[in-house]
Amino acid sequence: MTHQTINKTACILAGIIALGLPLVIRSATYLHILVVLYFYAYLTTSWNLVGGFAGVLPLGHAAFVGIGAYASTVLYLQYGISPWIGMIVGGILATFVGILIGLPTFKMRGAYFALATIAFGEGIRVMIENIDRLGPFVLNGPRGLQIPPRNLGLANFLFAGKEPYYYIILLMLAAVLILTYSISRSKLGYYLNAGGEEPEAAMALGVNVARAKLFAMAMSSFLTALAGTFYAQFTLYIHPKSVVSLDLSFEIAFIALIGGRGSIAGPVLGALLLRPVSDFSRIYFGDTLPGLHLVIFGVVLILVMIYQPRGLQEPLTRIYSNLVDWLAGRKAGEVQA
Amino acid sequence: MNILEIKKLYKDFGGLRALNDLSLTIGQGQIFGLIGPNGAGKSTAFNCIAGVYAPTGGEIFFNGHKINGEKPWNLCKKGLARTFQIVKPFATKSVLYNVMVGSFAKTGSRSVAEGKAIEILEYLHFAEQKETRAGNLTIADRKRLEIARALATEPKLLLLDEVMAGLRPSEVDEMVAIIKNLRNRGITIFVIEHIMRAIMALSDHVVVLHFGRKIAEGSPQQVASDEKVIKAYLGDEYVVSGS
Repeated sequence: MTHQTINKTACILAGIIALGLPLVIRSATYLHILVVLYFYAYLTTSWNLVGGFAGVLPLGHAAFVGIGAYASTVLYLQYGISPWIGMIVGGILATFVGILIGLPTFKMRGAYFALATIAFGEGIRVMIENIDRLGPFVLNGPRGLQIPPRNLGLANFLFAGKEPYYYIILLMLAAVLILTYSISRSKLGYYLNAGGEEPEAAMALGVNVARAKLFAMAMSSFLTALAGTFYAQFTLYIHPKSVVSLDLSFEIAFIALIGGRGSIAGPVLGALLLRPVSDFSRIYFGDTLPGLHLVIFGVVLILVMIYQPRGLQEPLTRIYSNLVDWLAGRKAGEVQA
Repeated sequence: MNILEIKKLYKDFGGLRALNDLSLTIGQGQIFGLIGPNGAGKSTAFNCIAGVYAPTGGEIFFNGHKINGEKPWNLCKKGLARTFQIVKPFATKSVLYNVMVGSFAKTGSRSVAEGKAIEILEYLHFAEQKETRAGNLTIADRKRLEIARALATEPKLLLLDEVMAGLRPSEVDEMVAIIKNLRNRGITIFVIEHIMRAIMALSDHVVVLHFGRKIAEGSPQQVASDEKVIKAYLGDEYVVSGS
């Protein structure tokens, strides 16, 4: 067996397991946890286009989740437009906002960029919280919007069971992973990485760093907004604290940093490792110690940054490639980049 | 045809005039040296040419087109590449990755970019190290990587900013051979260097800067025996006067 066939088999195997899980797991609670896990893996992978490849640390991505969720929900509730169309509308809206945020902020570096994105994200949350009506659109301020579970079906993106949601988010996750993989191997991926590491050198080599980052930001905000619509249709209730909160922005960044930003497997691994922590700490300590999961994340983050600054994907990838080498019957070769 | 022509270039940083009335002309296929004591304005001149700084005054022509204030990435696409005095590798990436960033300047295809990068690495006898992380390279290899990346953009004019500083004598000789070889490939070379041995061996023509002004120009031998140059480098008392 060659390395390639082993890698392919592993991917297919993971796909089959993911597709088959709902047949084995009958408990709605566990299925719900899995859906949310994929949701976070999707969000973090979208975030990774900017936060990982472009080498900056955006901490306001919840704004795009909110824009997506509100856009599709308002269109559905007030005009009866299918959330699938609303999803695209939200995505386009988020793209514009993403570019508007990116234009001034990409000139900043390090902590300044992170702070500026927090400010934008929080600004959008405060605005939504204080606006009951935006022109003809009813936003309901802090009370949020509720989607009545009527007229179920694919056209309305409303289902009685969890399984359809599971497959939809799985499909979205697979699509965004394939997209990320192809970008990382394309000219854009090289340019983003180069511009993130040494902008001056990249510019001298013909890279328009600002344009590459804006392009990544546009894609990232579009994809993030799609997840917002999914969240709205899945939970049927959105309010500013749930979809535009700073907690959500931080959690995305936590997952990416711990999993390994800038890699393809990192966000997925991060979500796989951290989401259960979050869910079970909420189940068992939710009453006594709400927010405990963020404390645990913080501790894990500190440990990971000290011992594995490139994220947990690095040792895991090494183990995996050693395993593949062993299966392929060769001596352990170079660790792939 | 002159590949680079600079006319009355000025550059001010606040109250400091870093470049003062600098004019020079580089012909196709030359190896052109720029020397001067520390702080003379050599790197500032490079940064003005390469689009990092907009000049305060004067004109820069590249291949007959005025390029004042053009962005670095556009200049690179037009065939003007540079290296940095303080090397700036993409440290977490492999040597091959670094060079491929350069070769993407002329192509959108990954396989073409990779082929081009490998060809350049082989040309610089650097191919065995293509999988090495750039951050783990020795200083000599980092300088070589700077050149490899710049070459990958297929330049007509290559600006080399002190590519020999910090190298051992044997490595300097190797680098001199590499640069001469590049000229034979048809690339015009504009080099800043402190190591006189290298400048003497390489350049067809040398310009000497001192406090932003051109104080001498000519063949390496002419410049080296010029009184003003010796004065600038060593101070007044070392000048053997004509008496």
